[in-house]
Amino acid sequence: MSRAAWFVLGTLGVGATLRAQGVMIAPHAVFMSHGARSGAVTLLNPGTEPVEVAVSVFYGYTATDSTGQLTLVTVDHPDSTQPSASGWLQAFPRRLTVGPQEQQVVRLLATPPANLPDGEYWARLAFTAKAGQLPVAGVSDTGNIKVGLTLQVRTVIGLHYRKGVVRTGIAVSGLHALRQGDSVVVQARIERQGNAAYLGTVHGTVVASNGRVVGAFHVPVTVFYANEPRWAVSIGAAPADSYRLRLEITTEREDLQPELLLQSPVVRDSVEVTP
Amino acid sequence: MLGGLALLTVLAPLSAQRAIQVTSVRSLVFGTVFPGVRRTVLRTDPLNSGRLDIRATRNAQVQLIFTLPAVLNGPAGATMPVSFGGNDGGFSATRSVASQIGFDPRVPYVARLNANSSRASVFLGGSANPIASQRAGSYTGTVTLTVVYFP
Repeated sequence: MSRAAWFVLGTLGVGATLRAQGVMIAPHAVFMSHGARSGAVTLLNPGTEPVEVAVSVFYGYTATDSTGQLTLVTVDHPDSTQPSASGWLQAFPRRLTVGPQEQQVVRLLATPPANLPDGEYWARLAFTAKAGQLPVAGVSDTGNIKVGLTLQVRTVIGLHYRKGVVRTGIAVSGLHALRQGDSVVVQARIERQGNAAYLGTVHGTVVASNGRVVGAFHVPVTVFYANEPRWAVSIGAAPADSYRLRLEITTEREDLQPELLLQSPVVRDSVEVTP
Repeated sequence: MLGGLALLTVLAPLSAQRAIQVTSVRSLVFGTVFPGVRRTVLRTDPLNSGRLDIRATRNAQVQLIFTLPAVLNGPAGATMPVSFGGNDGGFSATRSVASQIGFDPRVPYVARLNANSSRASVFLGGSANPIASQRAGSYTGTVTLTVVYFP
């Protein structure tokens, strides 16, 4: 294994759980450019047993459901209006076995149509790892019935393919904040602008009438079309007062390299917290 | 300074290689099963509950989707019903079996890793429901956990 790969393992502290079974997938989000038209994902098996991995590509994006929770939306047969890269993106190999404490690379090759308009195109990569049946400890022959369950893990990561001029931004509307006990529940509509997904971070603060911050949160946000998220921020036993929620959304992410992020102006909004 | 420069050379390209790992640590174990006697394993059972560990970036959001079998397959085409209740899934941002947030493993669940930790655990309980005339032998099934990393 290369020094680079072991460094990645080390940063996540994998060495302590070599007895367990699974693969590490790096990176956790893939960005491809039209210039290169290729990419790679590295699979590392820190375990002591070989792991069979199947790779698949499909179209999907994240959105929020009626409760404001993130969810993955998949479309089996995306039409031409959908910015899907799944139809012209291939992964090699599609099935592989990663030996104990070994790494293998899955190559990604894009063959988009010649007249592909500028913009960002999306896909999801799924890695299904089957490490065989785990030992079923504790089973007794007393009843002459043995029961075992095989655990299989499917990890899904996002892929962004960018061609030409890509830009992003967001518009926030309908910001609403409601106090519920020791929390403030925040809701808003965030609509993406431009032709690429918005990757950023939401910073929220709840401020008392004297300017004191009584609660805060920050959460990564990805907007492919429009999201209506719901966040809850704890304010503890803050006394009755006139509170204000301040929201700031920036194109910064702790989990992604700055050069992968499309920049856009900071968006700010605020609203009175409804008691 | 040379050492520092060498370290920088290694670190710079790797910082883009943030990774995600989902590891099956422990199978869901029903232990001794007798015909006609329902056997339930709680997600808080430290020895018999299923456990999977997640390593990703701090504060990351993931969607957990279980694909659960309705029956286990046994000898000569025999099957054994298994069931999972609305509180049989557990998520622990501290990786502690004693500190979980319960969820329904039959529907997707969104979890967030701690802001100061890149690790979390998922636990699974369930029930095996052997019938009175359950055929002797080994019964197996597959549980699949799909972990969707956002973005």
